[in-house]
Amino acid sequence: MRTGSPLLGARGITRRYGTVEALAPLDLSIARGERIALTGPNGAGKTTLLTMLAGVQAPSDGVLEWAGGAAAPVGWVPQRPALYPRLTTRENLRLFAGLEGSSDPGATADALIRRADLGEFADRRAGALSTGTLQRLNLAIALAGSPSLLLLDEPTGTLSPDQRVRLWGWLDDLVRTDDMALVFSTQSTDEAARNADRVLVLAHGRLLHDGPAEALDEAGFMALLGDAA
Amino acid sequence: MRALRAGRLLFAKDLRVLGRSQGLLAVLIGYPIVIAILLAIALSGGDRRPAIAFVNLDAGARTVQVGDDRLSVDDYASRLEDDVDLVRLTPQQAQDALADGRVSAVLTVPEGFITDLQSGLKPPVLQLATNPRSPIEAQAIERNLESAVFRLNQALATAYVKQVLNLVDLIQKGGTIGIFGRSGTLLGLQESDRNLRQVQRALIADGKPALAKKVAALRDYVTGVGGNLELAKPAAQAIASPIRLEVREGPPGREPLSALGIAGALVVGIGLVGVLLAAALLSAEREDHVLSRLGRGLTGAGTIIAQKALLAAIACTVVGYVLLGVVALSTSITIGRWLLWLPALLLAGLASGAFGLLVGALARETRTALLAGLMIALPLAVIALIPGNDIAYWASAVAGFGPAARVFQGLLVDPDITSSTYIGMGILAVVALVYGVAARVALGRRMHA
Repeated sequence: MRTGSPLLGARGITRRYGTVEALAPLDLSIARGERIALTGPNGAGKTTLLTMLAGVQAPSDGVLEWAGGAAAPVGWVPQRPALYPRLTTRENLRLFAGLEGSSDPGATADALIRRADLGEFADRRAGALSTGTLQRLNLAIALAGSPSLLLLDEPTGTLSPDQRVRLWGWLDDLVRTDDMALVFSTQSTDEAARNADRVLVLAHGRLLHDGPAEALDEAGFMALLGDAA
Repeated sequence: MRALRAGRLLFAKDLRVLGRSQGLLAVLIGYPIVIAILLAIALSGGDRRPAIAFVNLDAGARTVQVGDDRLSVDDYASRLEDDVDLVRLTPQQAQDALADGRVSAVLTVPEGFITDLQSGLKPPVLQLATNPRSPIEAQAIERNLESAVFRLNQALATAYVKQVLNLVDLIQKGGTIGIFGRSGTLLGLQESDRNLRQVQRALIADGKPALAKKVAALRDYVTGVGGNLELAKPAAQAIASPIRLEVREGPPGREPLSALGIAGALVVGIGLVGVLLAAALLSAEREDHVLSRLGRGLTGAGTIIAQKALLAAIACTVVGYVLLGVVALSTSITIGRWLLWLPALLLAGLASGAFGLLVGALARETRTALLAGLMIALPLAVIALIPGNDIAYWASAVAGFGPAARVFQGLLVDPDITSSTYIGMGILAVVALVYGVAARVALGRRMHA
């Protein structure tokens, strides 16, 4: 397990939509360099938890406490590529770098193109990119703000097996070199076990398990879900 | 500062995306312009020149001899038709048509017109009654008629000069006279001189030198008159215009159809461009799944709404000026107050744009937003064109179209800009604000759902 200094703590965060409790009160701590997988069936609350950590929506209750007091930059990679298909790869990156407050969006975009190995596609419209390349661009956009915490919602859901391997290799490099924390959701226990240091199992908006990835196999996962039902 | 920077970046992005979406652009801007032009043609009856009622009250003397031509009132009218479209009506029909806005002015030939023209004693007068609700068009008609009357005056003056020169020739050489209604035979100065010379010789032969001397003085006078008449010929060329145009302002009536057509075209054009463009731009953000990314602190819903409302307002203003320019260049209608059109078009664009943004914030996808925008905006824009109906006005005011129509008609036809025009602009600002706030709330919920 790779862990560094504490980055973010969640204390009793909850999300309700009217009378429906999408996420029951949950405590969570995230450290730099840590890779955390959120897994569970559909409607478990994985995306809800990620969007609250990303700041897309606020918790109904509870607090998020950042180490040092000030919120660290967060990179958010939604499940479906969130970008402008009629803009080129470079234009998308330059735009989001500008929105992130980069003083030189052009240079930031060029750096991200190199880092995500998108040089071949830099001046191609995003709408014309293949699924794997598009997801790389989706991820590169999330890096435009030099995040300390990268949040990914089922990042490999639409990718082929070889594209998954390449993407995880690249994400591993990012975590190592940038000392960032990684939190991703997946419906695959295999993927969670292979690519995370820690796995959180959610079902029906409740946290069922929070422990080392190697401690949870398919049978244990199914047993947890059975108990929750 | 950050919001401004984000707004500027998204504004530039929208322009770039629009520039690369020719099909969408054709639908969003081309289609409303085509609809607006068709509507303007339909409401204006396709007129390229102002329609003027022509009333002939001079039923008596039908023709006058001018030079070698006989001129009647109808001939006179047909010469004016080179510049305006004359509709021959009775006095009552003409007044009704002016009040209803079916004609832009009434041109009356008063009783005794031909007699005055024939006598040459006083200049005949044409009477022009214009619509005070349409001062700009009235000015254009006055200019057209003054120009027509000037050309006709020149033609008449040439004929008169020719007649005067013939008369001078007659006085000098003698012959049969037929001018200004008079006829007879003239001896002529040359023949008079010959006769006087014979009388002078006879008196000398009869030994009456004193009388012969008096005849000699008379001959000198006749010769002198002949010489002076020769000098009068160039002066005759300088005869002034024999007809002048008297302009009177008629009773207030409805706006001419041409003004209604232009205002209608602007309302429909701007309304559809604003609603469809804004709705498409905002719903596209959702379709591209970027709202959650933007809402994560990169920018707020207010910035996105403001930026897209501004873009829609600018697009509407450009479309509005293009439509006005097309009208000014391709018809005889005069468009004025070009600077005052700027706030009017901007506010109308803001109002329809904000309405479109609300539609775009509520719709789930671009196609739905466009369809909903079209279905709501088109009937409201058409309702806004029903003149003098308060229910139609307030129904269409829901999307700002009613106030926009009144502001546009005010700028087109009011002699002076009245408070109702400024009130209309104020209502447009309020409509823009209300829909802008509503769209911001709806978008905020989408971004943080």
